Amino acid sequence: MFSFLVTSAKKDLARWRQDKTAFLIWLGIPFLIGGLITSMIDGGGGSPTGVLLIADQDSSLLSGFVAGAYSQDQLGELIVVEQVSIEEGEARINDGEASGFLTIPEGFQEAFLNETPVTLTLKTNPAQTILPGIIEDVTEILLDLGFYAQRLLGSEIQQIKNADENGLPNDVFVSGVAVDIQHKIDKVAPMLSPPVLDVVIIEPPPAEPQPDIALLFLPGIILMAVLFSSNSLAADYWEEREKGTLRRLVSTPGMLSGFVAGKAVAALVVMGLIATITLTIGFAYHDVAWSKFVSSLLWVSLGGVGLFAWFAALQMLFPNNQAANLVTTILLFPLMMAGGSFFPLAALPDWIAGIGRMSPNGFIVDRLSGELTAANAWSIDARSWLTLISVTVSGLALSTWRLRSGFARK
Amino acid sequence: MLVVENLVKQYGDLTAVDDVSFDAGKGSVFGLLGPNGAGKSTLINCISGLLTPTTGHIAVSGHDIVKDGKAARKSLGVVPQEIALYEDLPAIENLRYWGKAYGLRGKGLEDRVSDVLGHIGLADRAKDLPKEFSGGMKRRLNFGCGVVHQPKVLLLDEPTVGVDPQSRAKLFELVEAERDAGACVLYTTHYMEEAERLCDSLAIIDHGKIIANGTVAELKSQLGARDALQLTGEFPAEATKSAIAELATSITDLEILSQDETTLMLTLSLASQHLPGIFDALSKAGGSVSETSLRSPNLETLFLLLTGNELRE
Repeated sequence: MFSFLVTSAKKDLARWRQDKTAFLIWLGIPFLIGGLITSMIDGGGGSPTGVLLIADQDSSLLSGFVAGAYSQDQLGELIVVEQVSIEEGEARINDGEASGFLTIPEGFQEAFLNETPVTLTLKTNPAQTILPGIIEDVTEILLDLGFYAQRLLGSEIQQIKNADENGLPNDVFVSGVAVDIQHKIDKVAPMLSPPVLDVVIIEPPPAEPQPDIALLFLPGIILMAVLFSSNSLAADYWEEREKGTLRRLVSTPGMLSGFVAGKAVAALVVMGLIATITLTIGFAYHDVAWSKFVSSLLWVSLGGVGLFAWFAALQMLFPNNQAANLVTTILLFPLMMAGGSFFPLAALPDWIAGIGRMSPNGFIVDRLSGELTAANAWSIDARSWLTLISVTVSGLALSTWRLRSGFARK
Repeated sequence: MLVVENLVKQYGDLTAVDDVSFDAGKGSVFGLLGPNGAGKSTLINCISGLLTPTTGHIAVSGHDIVKDGKAARKSLGVVPQEIALYEDLPAIENLRYWGKAYGLRGKGLEDRVSDVLGHIGLADRAKDLPKEFSGGMKRRLNFGCGVVHQPKVLLLDEPTVGVDPQSRAKLFELVEAERDAGACVLYTTHYMEEAERLCDSLAIIDHGKIIANGTVAELKSQLGARDALQLTGEFPAEATKSAIAELATSITDLEILSQDETTLMLTLSLASQHLPGIFDALSKAGGSVSETSLRSPNLETLFLLLTGNELRE
């Protein structure tokens, strides 16, 4: 039997190798979907940036300070500030080309120093959610900061303003103002540091390392390729029957069990190849530890053979090839949906995820996700391995029974 | 070499093969002749182990096909009616695969594959895919896959269906070569000329029953020296039947083989001498003859005589 098994496997591999298009489709569709999902999550790899348009009609020291505040430190990585005229700013914010448009009116600095009311106008883009919110928050902080600065350093600011109007101040003036400011800060400092309240910082327990969300999609995407390929390869039994090679085989001493086992070995090779390609790309992209590669490869390959065996057994129960193909193809989509190929099981409601984990591909996806995100390799427990092996063997046994019970003789 | 005894195969109320018995020896071609639906393929399927007989016994090279199936199948080669090949596997790989399915290994397999490729005229196309072959080439490869293991009993189920004359002649040569090599060949066909050319002995089967068997010469002798006379024209059914019945009282062994409104087939001895009398009788019966064809007795005539039907119906 073993010799015929090898012969049968070689025969199928040689035949399947001819159909390179199918292989590309099995890999192409999941990669396309996976690529789209990953790009949506990662946003192309960079942080989102927004544009803040500022129409500075005051052109004063203080208005320049306000405009510059949005470009400081980490804020500068999120917000790009552009100085515009009122007309340009209105037009661009109305066209949705910016996250916000801030107008600093003429007389802003004067009003600030004289503590008279002044209005800064901020228009935000309703089509965006996060960046306009950040701009609003920063603007409010700046206004609060300005209020307290006025309370504390109002006279010094007034002196600086007067000096600015009389031309460049001399060194004596600058040092005098600096000393005054320093004295005030020194006076306030004890109230700020150490703080009046004694704060005890309790370190929270170290949080579980959160896996990369895009990584959670990887097992489902890999299983999508495995589902496509296992269903297509399972259709080979029908193809052999329609060609008459199955009937011919029955009239030889060659054993049907060897024939089925040969197909399973050939499927294992194809699944191994698909798993190698998808896992290699996934591991490299998501920076997964390579120590988990072999276990993941074995798990996916064996799972693929199990799916192949059950798809084959199921297809052979139908009265004709068209019905078999139609039903199993229709079955693919709910399987992919429930089994975490479109949404990670972790992102689904518990009851749906529970059902999904019971689906054959969901079971494989769930354990593979665990393996990829676990601290160490070979995290899939022995019970899961035994379950998968049992399901695979029973699928192959059912296929053999179906061949013997008449499928091969018609 | 091949023994079939009292074979019956039923599907519910339908009896597809009805108490069929025959045997075929080493180095001979045994023909199964019958129209489509006569039960030939069911019989072949029982012999090849695809179907289990309802009752009866089949032995291939001394092994019972049911009780000792594996040993029986080792001695059996089957060339199915359909082209049962892997069209996406090179010709040589097809031969290797089927050779291995029959248990050949190593050098023995390679030598035999090489021989068969030459034998079927595909040595120069060994590495090409059958899907690129002509229909005749596929038929030859289909044949080669059935004989790669040098079977003692070879079953050929209408191997020339849809084959051009050149490839058909080549297939005849291949069958004769297997016979000459000592194989027992069971050949089913509904082509009379194939049966006459190839078969040492044959059985005529209709509605699942063997209605005549023996050598070609023995079967022809059942017709004696009678000719087959085919008349084309207009023949009123009852009047023609009465006229021929009346004529049969004066012409010994005159029989109607088949009759419809435009064709009348008769068998009789020395037909040419009786033509004027026949034309006269048909004319009086209201008929008219526009064309006459006189043939020597053959298997087709015998089949018509035995079944009343054309073989190709």
